[in-house]
Amino acid sequence: MFDKLRRKPEYMSEVTSGPVLKDVVQKDASWKAPLTNITVLFKHRFLVRNLVQREIRGRYRNAMLGYTWTVLEPAMLASVYYFLFIMLAGNPDRMYPVWVILGVIVWGCFGKALQGTVSSLSRNGQTIHLVYFPRIIFPMTAMQGNIIISMMSCVVVLPIMIFYDLPVTIYLLYVPLSILMSGFLAIGLGMLVAPLNCVQRDIEHLFRFIVRAGFFISPVMWTYEMAQARGSIGDMVLYNPMVVPLTMARHGVAGESLGIPWVGILGSLGFGIVMWILGSYVFNRYEAGAVKHL
Amino acid sequence: MTANAVEIKNVTLHFPKQRNALKMLMNLVQRKKERFTALRNVSLTVKKGEVLGIIGKNGSGKSTLLRIISGIYPADEGSCKAAGSISLLAGLGTGFSGHQTGRENAILYGSILGHSEQVMIEKLPEIIDFSELGSFINEPVRTYSSGMKARLGLAVASAIYPDILLIDEVLGVGDPQFKEKSKKRILDLVKSTGTVVLVSHSFGLMKDICDRLVFIHKGKIVGVGEPDAIIKLYYETTD
Repeated sequence: MFDKLRRKPEYMSEVTSGPVLKDVVQKDASWKAPLTNITVLFKHRFLVRNLVQREIRGRYRNAMLGYTWTVLEPAMLASVYYFLFIMLAGNPDRMYPVWVILGVIVWGCFGKALQGTVSSLSRNGQTIHLVYFPRIIFPMTAMQGNIIISMMSCVVVLPIMIFYDLPVTIYLLYVPLSILMSGFLAIGLGMLVAPLNCVQRDIEHLFRFIVRAGFFISPVMWTYEMAQARGSIGDMVLYNPMVVPLTMARHGVAGESLGIPWVGILGSLGFGIVMWILGSYVFNRYEAGAVKHL
Repeated sequence: MTANAVEIKNVTLHFPKQRNALKMLMNLVQRKKERFTALRNVSLTVKKGEVLGIIGKNGSGKSTLLRIISGIYPADEGSCKAAGSISLLAGLGTGFSGHQTGRENAILYGSILGHSEQVMIEKLPEIIDFSELGSFINEPVRTYSSGMKARLGLAVASAIYPDILLIDEVLGVGDPQFKEKSKKRILDLVKSTGTVVLVSHSFGLMKDICDRLVFIHKGKIVGVGEPDAIIKLYYETTD
């Protein structure tokens, strides 16, 4: 039915030119991962862009209001918490709803980015079995997608500022900065456990709980200043690295400087950097074995 | 002497067995490893310009071997070397996102397969044309039939010619007309690609296009050689 479709290779014929033999799995040493992760992102930017787009489009599929939900969701959540707070504590100051809405956005970014990165390998099993590319791209795109969605949520700041007649200052840059920072705090932790989540999905469930519990432990419904007013607890909250980005967003909108001691800021940044280094190392070291479980 | 395109040396690959937490802990304590050996000490070379077929029963390790070559699984023991770019044609259209349009998915899938932006811009009209989707290309993929998805997948996957092409059972998707067309496309790809490794169950086709066949049984290579002889060996071993 078919002819031999092509000339026989004629092991005799001289096909010696062209690419040379290389190991198919080319990986940099794991200790370099904290740096190579960034270069990988740049090298595969076309892929990264498409995957991030998939991440974002997937979130609001088949929704009439579409991206409006990025603003609606935190706004509605904040109104619920506002009423809850009035019932529990009574008569908060007039800015309180604003603090809650910003808290919900920033915490939402952290929480979703964390859950997204933790499950980034296990969710993408199909793609992983289809083709090899540096797998760090999966948690990276999960984080980037959530950062972009949270940035869109920040549009809500504009009507708030008009309503409360707040001045536009340079500090407004704190708002996007706080989103970036919460994403950064999330990815280190996410990379650290993403390979483990391939082996046992319990990790995913555990982190869903952590995100929910963290919501109350972190200044989402309350503020750093409220804790300060309680005396000794005030300094203790600084052990929570999320206090810095949450407070940052609020002070940005209010047009004030951060007002958190340097130790607190450095501690939070340091936590992020250490987690990034540790997470990159662990992810790089264990992902190859972990994907066999998918 | 002809250079090798792929060199697999003494590759062994184990898969962990999924167990509950308690059992895993017990194994950890007892230093016992429960695992399934998918490939056992496999060595194989593929020459440049050769079309090599792999046959074997389901679960014998054929697809795993292709995944070793494409770098998806690193070998537990042994080494695998290859010369040049590799592309694996398998599970066409996996990774599609249902709520994006066919056009967006073509670009997404292309980027997943490692096509550059340049290539996708250049080849997109041709891909859309080949997939025969017409106006459906601007509809979300969730509205597609499975045949339409496979067509789009094949169109994207076959858009570029790699140095080494790995094909895992993707012949024969869609209706008879498209099946013929897709077969032609893949054979075309086979013809223009330097080196091809093909996994298939259609022995007739393999006999026609493969220069050599490899027979894998239970994770081991049982025989390598002329197609007719190896197919005979297959039936003798498995009957």
